[in-house]
Order: sequence, then structure tokens, then C-alpha cells
Amino acid sequence: MKNNNFYKNLIENNLNPFILFDNNGDLQEFNKEAEFLFNTVSPKELYSLAIQYASHSFGFEYKFINLKYGQNNYYAILVGYLNENEIGIQLYKEICTELLTKKMNNIEFVNIFSLIEISKTTTLLQNTKIQEIYDVSIPEIKININEFLLTLNNCFTLFKQSSYLKIKISLEIGEYEIIKKKKYQIIFIKFINNKKITIDREFEYQAHKAHINLFVQDKTIKLKFPMIL
Amino acid sequence: MVKLHIQKRQIMKKFISLSTSSQNALKIAQISSTLPVNILVTGENGVGKKILIQEIFPNLQVFNGQKLEKMIFHKKINLDSFNTIVIYEIDALINKKDFFEKLRKIRVIATSRKELNEISTFFPVKITIEPLKNRKEDLDELINLYSNDAKKIYNCDIKIDDIKIDISQNGITLKQSIYKSILLKSLTKDELIDTMQDFFTREFENKQTTYKKLLEIFEIAILKSAKKIYKSQLQMALKLGINRITLRKKLEQYGE
Repeated sequence: MKNNNFYKNLIENNLNPFILFDNNGDLQEFNKEAEFLFNTVSPKELYSLAIQYASHSFGFEYKFINLKYGQNNYYAILVGYLNENEIGIQLYKEICTELLTKKMNNIEFVNIFSLIEISKTTTLLQNTKIQEIYDVSIPEIKININEFLLTLNNCFTLFKQSSYLKIKISLEIGEYEIIKKKKYQIIFIKFINNKKITIDREFEYQAHKAHINLFVQDKTIKLKFPMIL
Repeated sequence: MVKLHIQKRQIMKKFISLSTSSQNALKIAQISSTLPVNILVTGENGVGKKILIQEIFPNLQVFNGQKLEKMIFHKKINLDSFNTIVIYEIDALINKKDFFEKLRKIRVIATSRKELNEISTFFPVKITIEPLKNRKEDLDELINLYSNDAKKIYNCDIKIDDIKIDISQNGITLKQSIYKSILLKSLTKDELIDTMQDFFTREFENKQTTYKKLLEIFEIAILKSAKKIYKSQLQMALKLGINRITLRKKLEQYGE
């Protein structure tokens, strides 16, 4: 057996997030990956997850479940506790085996506010209260209109049953995307509603085809894409 | 005169958009007409799908879905020669996925009588036109337009409330019912006799009738109208000049 320091380092440098909670749900220890994970999910939610999937008695138990936090998907969790005072959880990150090369095909200039208007009017029911905060200084940009509209339709379909929806469109300050060695500013469309949002693989695939990065967190979904002029 | 007539007909073909839902449909059609995307217009029979498309895309080549499917199958059409086409009633296509696979390089504006989930990704823009029963403002306007036109054609002055309206197939049956209603109310005695004569001739030719059966047509109409005007059977019998017992028998016979 190696010494404790070795195991600590092994966990600290693991690609999968590991978190140790005390019996009040307070953080005891966590590794680097868990620190990144806390940007998109609260420790409280992860503690609830650990409690929900813990084994009946002391020990460790795997559970294969699909989770998505931020841009990462997780395919399984390991929950373990050896006494009443501590409980640990490790999340297993899904690694995409094929290289996702984004192709910028069939891109054309368009006013994204028109696309929002089309998708909103054709998808949403009339009883949804909508609050719109748009940065109208955003010019016409180049996108794949077809794929972009299909992604927007998917988004608005999520809110068909929502009584309230806030849509914010603006430039993401301080973030850029580099495509073919060229630096582009990022535009985001943020949807906030009154219900928890879950999306499936098809949704993500559609967004990928539209060259959109998706960020889902609780009741919010954020679409980020480069401002190609 | 001829010119005026043509202009009036064109007005009648305009997509009526006085209700919120049809205004939205028109607005979306106008915005998306400038984009290089496929558009699907869905709605029941007679809601105005074709009229909306004709208004937004007046100069495009139009095909019936099933006919185009046959033409493609028998290789009787060169699809490369089109940039944008209009296809009506794509819900009736036999193999929708194959059909649209062959149209990948063409912009398609289509109509369907129902939602088509299996090809939803082919149409980023889906416009739904509500049935007339949900578009009160449009319905009122259409009733006005059709009844004014019919009144002029048949030279008949009739209150809108007296017109029997049928919107079971939206604009199609609405127009038919208004024109039919106004036409029938405009008939003179001679025209009515002519019409009945035609009807009786057809009945005799079909050998499906007897004198007694044809007599029912008169009697039912007379009794119904008398019932509408006079309050009691006593008054009805008096005005019609028939015995009260005979009247009661006849009312029972016809279930009036």
C-alpha cells in the first residue's frame, strides 16, 4: 500500500470530481475537478444527490445515471460512506471519443432578433408572460439560419408550459471564440423560466450543428455563439 | 367594368388577418419570406393556408404533394431547375422522409392539414393558422365580404342574421353556405318553380319517388314556415284554411 499522500494526490488530480461532505452537508474535502463543477452546480445539490443514491448500509455503491452540469455530461456516480460522519461522491465524466470539429457551413447574414421573433411566435403559447432584454446594437451576424432556427425552436418548446419567460440577448464580456485563428466576440441568448430545465442528447446535437454552446443550469439555459461579421 | 370586377376578386383572395393569431401568422410569413429557410403552413381545411402563401410568394411554381411525389418517382421532373417551390398538402405524401430527402437542395414552402412530427427538422419555420371558430374578427370580416359579394351577384337584400352559416370546413363551407343561402333567398316564384321542376325531373328519372313523397316537400315547408309565423295551431289552421284535426295529424306525421 502506498502512503496516504499518494492517494490524496491521485484524487486531487483525478479527471472526475470528488467531494467529501460531513453529516450536515458541509464540504470537507474536494478535488480540482470538483472546484470547477461548483461553478455550475451547488454543493448542496450534490449532497442531496449523494444522500439520494447512498447504499442502505455502510459501503460504496455505483449508480449509472445521466447528469449534465454546465458543458459536461456524467454517466455514473459512486457514493460511499464508512461512518455516520462523512459521505463521499465521485462523478464520472463522459468523454467524447470523436473529435467535435465544428464546421461553419451555409452561414449567411441575418438579424438574430428576427429569428427569435419567428421561433417565439410559432412555438410558444400565448399565455406565457415574456420579458425581453435585448442589446439591439448587435448587428446582423453570419450563422447557419436553418440550424439556428431549429435550435431556437427546441429552446422555446422547453417553455411551452411556462407561465413566465425572460429572454436576454447581449454580448458576453471578456469571452472570445477562436475559429481558424481568428478571434470572435461571443453573443449569448439567455432564457430564464420558472421551471427546472432538462435537455436531451438530440437537443445538444442540434445546438452543436448550429455552432452554439449550451449551458443549462436549473431554470436557465444559455446559448453562446460567435459574432461572425 | 371588367377591370373593376377583377380588382374586386383579388381583394376577396387577400389573407384576412384581423384576429391576433392570423396577424401573427402573416407577420411570421412576411419575416421568414426573406430568409433562405423552409416554411410549413399548417391548419384545417379552408383556414387560408394557400391564400397566405399566394400573398407572400405570388410568383412561385406550385405543386400538389402527391402529384409531385409521383413525378419524382417516375423521374418526370428535373428538380435541379428549381430554387424554391410551393407544395400543397404534404400530409398526403406516401413516403415523406424520402420525398424531402430528394428536395434537400431546394427551398420548400408547404402546406399541411396536420402537424408532421416525422419531418419537423425539415421545416425550421412552422406557421399554424387557427380554425375560423377561434378567429372571431376574421370570421365576421369574411361573412361581410362573402355576403356583400353574393348580395350584389344575386341582387338580393338580406340581413346577415338570416344567413345560415356553416364553418365546419372553415372558409370553404362558409363561402358555400353564404352564397347558397343568399341565392335561395333571392329566388322568384318562377325561378323556384323552375328549380323544383328540375328537382322533380331528376327524382322521376331516378324512379325513386311517388306523388305522395313529392307532396311532402311542399307540406313540410308550408308547415314549418306557418309555425314560425303563427303562435298557435288554432291560428295556423285558421290562416291555412284547413281543419285543426287535419293540421295536427300532419304536424305529427312530419314530426313538427
